[in-house]
Amino acid sequence: MAPAKAPAGHFSILYFAAASTYTRRASEHLPAPVRARDLFALLEERYPGIGEKVLSSCAVTVNLEYVDAGGDDAEDAGRVIKEGDEVAIIPPVSSG
Amino acid sequence: MVAVIDSLRQQIATCEATLQDLHQQLAEAEHNQRQQERVLRKTKPLTTDPLDHDMNFGVPDDFRSEVFAVLDHEAEPQEQDESNKLGRWPLEKNEYRRYGRQLIMPEIGLQGQLRLRSSRVLVVGVGGLGCPAAAYLVGAGVGTVGLVDGDVVEESNLHRQILHSSARVGMTKVESAMVALNSLNPNVKLIPHILRLTPETAISIFKNYDLVLDCTDTPASRYLISDTCVLLGKTLVSASALRIDGQLMVLNNPPSPPGDPTGGPCYRCVFPKPPPPESVVSCGDGGILGPVVGVMGVLQALETIKVLTKKATGTEPAPADPPTLLIFSAYSNPMFRSIRLRSRKAKCTACSAQATISPQVLESGSLDYAQFCGSINPIDALTPQERISAESYAKLRSGVNPFTGTVSNKDNHILIDVRERVQFELCSIDGSVNIPFSTVSITPGLSLNPNTPSPGSNDMYVDENDWATQLRQTEKPIFVVCRLGNDSQLTVKKMKELGLNYGGKRFIGDIRGGLQAWREKVDAEFPEY
Repeated sequence: MAPAKAPAGHFSILYFAAASTYTRRASEHLPAPVRARDLFALLEERYPGIGEKVLSSCAVTVNLEYVDAGGDDAEDAGRVIKEGDEVAIIPPVSSG
Repeated sequence: MVAVIDSLRQQIATCEATLQDLHQQLAEAEHNQRQQERVLRKTKPLTTDPLDHDMNFGVPDDFRSEVFAVLDHEAEPQEQDESNKLGRWPLEKNEYRRYGRQLIMPEIGLQGQLRLRSSRVLVVGVGGLGCPAAAYLVGAGVGTVGLVDGDVVEESNLHRQILHSSARVGMTKVESAMVALNSLNPNVKLIPHILRLTPETAISIFKNYDLVLDCTDTPASRYLISDTCVLLGKTLVSASALRIDGQLMVLNNPPSPPGDPTGGPCYRCVFPKPPPPESVVSCGDGGILGPVVGVMGVLQALETIKVLTKKATGTEPAPADPPTLLIFSAYSNPMFRSIRLRSRKAKCTACSAQATISPQVLESGSLDYAQFCGSINPIDALTPQERISAESYAKLRSGVNPFTGTVSNKDNHILIDVRERVQFELCSIDGSVNIPFSTVSITPGLSLNPNTPSPGSNDMYVDENDWATQLRQTEKPIFVVCRLGNDSQLTVKKMKELGLNYGGKRFIGDIRGGLQAWREKVDAEFPEY
């Protein structure tokens, strides 16, 4: 299940909990570079509806660090996701 | 219930008798030990003692008496202490024994144990997370543990909620947990709060505790608990679990006042927006593996012990660990990932200088957490003509179509069961066909042109369109059933969107109340899960 190292020109993206349910996969590789502000649009294109149903409430991390990537006014909107980076989509789990 | 009460009374009586017996044995053993020590000092050493020769022949008499005088002197205060029970030792004798294995660790030690004993911890939710968390905290000797829960124990809780028992099904979770925790460690003071937490009551309950564990199961309670902890300056140990995933955070640590940027982030800093209500899945609907939620609860207890026993460096209070979000994913490799979180969000509505949430706002009840997190209305997507009761469907299978009056049987219609495959495999109505709702829901409706698949969708949708193609090959009426009668309605709508009803020529409808109604009204043997 551990994603293989991203091939040249790609980054890895991990989907947890509801994100994994929605995309039906735990991880994949996507072409790099991508600006953080464009990440959600890229995912919406691949998985129609994911933006509203999953991403709107998710935490996003790059290389195990929390980033504020949602929307143009987000703190890290200008950050660039580079080749070899590991991005994670982490929806809040609220059950217990 | 009477049987439960009787059984509990009997258990308590038995335990009390055992306890009394143990006290008796302890007193006797202690008495014997004292006697023995006295005798040893006064009588000649045994000849097997290697010191025997030296003590009896090799050591000058005056030195010998000096040594014994010192030994006797040392022994005296102990005897006095034992007689008047005044604290020569900071912990009780039984506490040294009970907590010995953690006391000898430098991370805890005497100071750590004393901190635990003087701590008051609130566990909100006594379910899959709260049970293991409370068990370890009570085991470790936290002085006071409060328990909040309004639910009663159900049989389907027992695979993961380890404090409850088969005999206590129907008892409140708080009372059931107290029975188990009391027998685990009677030194801990337990405080029951048999209620569901509300904005109006949260502050008055939380203010009597030092630290709070969020072991609840809804987004609304998570925001309420976090906000209350921020307002009262309590550190919050928050965990959650669903299916095979878990999350853990130590929030508001250190618990500086709102607006103080040195404080730890709160739940809103990490998840400012609640998930859309229709995407929120409970353990009842989504499932939960016992050890997954157990791991998260145990980790909550661990983080709580770490926070409570943190050593001060000199006069300064110990700095809090940097905030992290621990992700547990039971079937991934690695199973754990630790995410570095940021400090408080500059615009957080709860803990920043721009916070709008105040104790008054909370206690007035004007902050509607249920509304903030949204709620799903019961699905009512179909007209009465598109729905059939379980009884009518049973009659239809046995011969008479209640709509047309014509003779019918289970072969001249199609029964589609839209539960997920794993549930379908547990039990299903004879002759039904499984098309999981997850497949139905991602099939694009006819609003999308089927000839131009949406970008990137080619690997997702091809197979799933097959079900619609197959249903087009007959004109038999379609009945749709699910677990409770919600997904079945949405499926009927989707089938009509896809034109499977041939413009109204073919009947497509659902079974009202789903398999639950089928079990209640038709087939009592149909398994409940």
